[in-house]
Amino acid sequence: MSNPLLAIECLRVDFPDVVAVNDLTLTVGAGEVCGLIGPNGAGKTTTMRAISGLQECTRGSVRVNGHEPASEPDELKRQLGFMPDFCPTYDQLTASEFLDHFARAYDVPNRTKRIEECLELTWLTEKTNALCEELSRGMKQRLVLAKTLLPDPKVLLLDEPASGLDPLGRIELRKILLQLREAGKAVLISSHILTELSGFCNTAAIMERGRLVTFGTIAELGQKMGRRQMSVKWRADDGKALEILKAANVKNLADTNLGATFNFDGDTNALDELLKTLVLQGVRISEWRGTGDDLEQIFLQSGAKELM
Amino acid sequence: MKLFDNPIFITQKRLVHRGGVLAAALIAGLVGASLLSGLIAYLADPMNFNSFRSSQEAGKMFYGWTIGVEILVLVIGGFSRISRVLGEERKAGLWDSNRMTPLKPCQLVTGYWLGAPLREFYMAAILAAIGLVIVLLGRLPITLWLGSQVLIFSTALFFGLLGVLVGMTFQRPQGGVIFLVAFIFFQFPSFAMPKYMLTNFLLPTYGIANLFRDSGDSGNDFSLQEWRGMPEIFGVPIPPILLSIALQAFVGFFLWRAAVRKTANPFQPPLFRWETVALFGVLLIVQNGLIWGIWRGQFPTAANGGNFFDGQSLLPTVHGGTLLLATVVLAFVSPQPESVRVKALRSGIKDFSAIFPESSVLLALVLTGVAAIVLLSQFAFSFGSSWEIYLVVIGNLLDFVLIYSLLLEFCRLRFRRRALGFVALWLFILCILPFILGGVFSTGAIAKLSLLAPGVIALGDPANENMNNLLGIVVGHFGIAVVLFIGWQRKWKELLARAV
Repeated sequence: MSNPLLAIECLRVDFPDVVAVNDLTLTVGAGEVCGLIGPNGAGKTTTMRAISGLQECTRGSVRVNGHEPASEPDELKRQLGFMPDFCPTYDQLTASEFLDHFARAYDVPNRTKRIEECLELTWLTEKTNALCEELSRGMKQRLVLAKTLLPDPKVLLLDEPASGLDPLGRIELRKILLQLREAGKAVLISSHILTELSGFCNTAAIMERGRLVTFGTIAELGQKMGRRQMSVKWRADDGKALEILKAANVKNLADTNLGATFNFDGDTNALDELLKTLVLQGVRISEWRGTGDDLEQIFLQSGAKELM
Repeated sequence: MKLFDNPIFITQKRLVHRGGVLAAALIAGLVGASLLSGLIAYLADPMNFNSFRSSQEAGKMFYGWTIGVEILVLVIGGFSRISRVLGEERKAGLWDSNRMTPLKPCQLVTGYWLGAPLREFYMAAILAAIGLVIVLLGRLPITLWLGSQVLIFSTALFFGLLGVLVGMTFQRPQGGVIFLVAFIFFQFPSFAMPKYMLTNFLLPTYGIANLFRDSGDSGNDFSLQEWRGMPEIFGVPIPPILLSIALQAFVGFFLWRAAVRKTANPFQPPLFRWETVALFGVLLIVQNGLIWGIWRGQFPTAANGGNFFDGQSLLPTVHGGTLLLATVVLAFVSPQPESVRVKALRSGIKDFSAIFPESSVLLALVLTGVAAIVLLSQFAFSFGSSWEIYLVVIGNLLDFVLIYSLLLEFCRLRFRRRALGFVALWLFILCILPFILGGVFSTGAIAKLSLLAPGVIALGDPANENMNNLLGIVVGHFGIAVVLFIGWQRKWKELLARAV
């Protein structure tokens, strides 16, 4: 990655009895959504608070689009949006007044228009004049997301953004994140619900006890974990497909009705070759699905197993 | 950025208005109108009011009540409001959200300082306007109104800054109220010696009382002589209003810097060490300057051959105030052990040289030195005969600040979150328990063992006390400090050993 928007190098955060974040190095480039994954107490929230300057770092450096917190704090603040895992809102302000507060603080141009855009983006247009205390938790979550998007930051830190959202809200959040990815933002997002992240994360960082267990693109991580789980289905069973799979030395081969599951140790090219062989041998493949690049699989194989 | 463009101020204003200001304004208006109607009734038929001898006296009485309510609303109410709003916003995470915006720390502080107590400002403005009518109807000098309003608003601003700091420091909103009650509690002893105590000028009780006293007809109220005339600092008379405003501006300057610094980076102590020393030193100089006229450097012989009081309680009270001030400033700069460990981790220095620049113990020694120099002003021309008293007082001060700073850091290292309770316990044992036991067993000998006692006794009753005995107690207290120092040193070393 030539010029990452978010670059963390050797970050360390100490708490009285524990090293909350230990020697963390990761980068998030433009158009990347990086999933920060880990069990409770892994250091995800502390990492995000340290990046945003809310937590004192023992050592290490953080750069947001090249800006450092010590030398250019104002510029860094303008380019960084942080959405915490709870919803800090002024209960006695309306949704639009709440956004107006932050729009003024960030000196957002065309304030009113931008507030309307953000409310629309987070499906809160109907709640423009509703008091924050009247909003449900999910709505507050969306309002805080709107506040985070208000100054159009280049880097977004989203800490458990979907925790209070209903299924529909989660689907909509996914759409927003895909939009942000397409808009060239760098997004660092933490969540316990891994299936939620797998749809739009192109990189993942797995943390455990403050340390980075592994970091890379989803495909790289799948390969790093060594073995990817595959599922194949075919239309007619003549036994040929199972013989080919056995000959390819796949592991844990299990015969399912008109199909099989197996673990494959080779790289992507080797897997492509296996599929080519099956097709050339006349096996009529109806499904060829790799589950090895699923975040949940990656996480479970990474050793960080205290997932909720 | 102008105040009215400050988003924090705008939001606080919105919140205040959404919460409703009409009822509050009406309450203020009704209180003021009731007092005004009392004056009007007197003016209409003076014979019905036996308690007043003139319209001026009646005017003073009703205006006094008006500004009493105004002070209650603006100074105490405003302080509580600011500290509560900040405490709640910190708890809700809004403070952090605001800190993450490009707003400057001074804009954040200003927004809360002037925005949160807007309802109280409205109420005070209504009371001030009614107060003006009372002053005019009572044929009182306009300077009474002007002077008292300037002092009330400057005090409100001063306490507002204090409220900002308290709100940024205490986790719970009620922490501010406890702080305020403690502040007012310690103000009471100074009412007995109005012209000589700094606290009567920091809280401008003298200035306001003096305005009443000097505004014509004497009346029944404020007739005490001690509230008349100008205070003197080392013999130089200074108008009380000027002294109050200067003191509030001086302390307020440091409070402002502390609030801004804490907003910019909550992990650093609110005051630099030089600021602590400057604040402590100047307050001590002013206080000793105020009492200079009594002994003129010849303590314990009164220079003016006896005053309205014999001075027995004055210097002990000043000594007690010095201890209290040292306690507050040392608490401000005493480091959190974790921040020292983090610094040691950063620098890689893990020996004792990493601790001393951060610890408050070194500062305690500096503060004692400053106090020793300033107190010398009371002994300057009688040092040859009263050096033992001086030695006891300074020794006592040294013991107290050393034990306090060592105890504070030791308890933070040993008990962490429970530290405050253990500090209070040990201070109770060392300072208060001997007095209780002395009372229970009816013997002054035990009471003298209190950490507070030697200095107070030496200054309060120098003629009848054996200074050698008191010096012995001071040396004993120093022994406690040495034991604490050993424990303190060990705890720091243990902490630094973990800095890997």
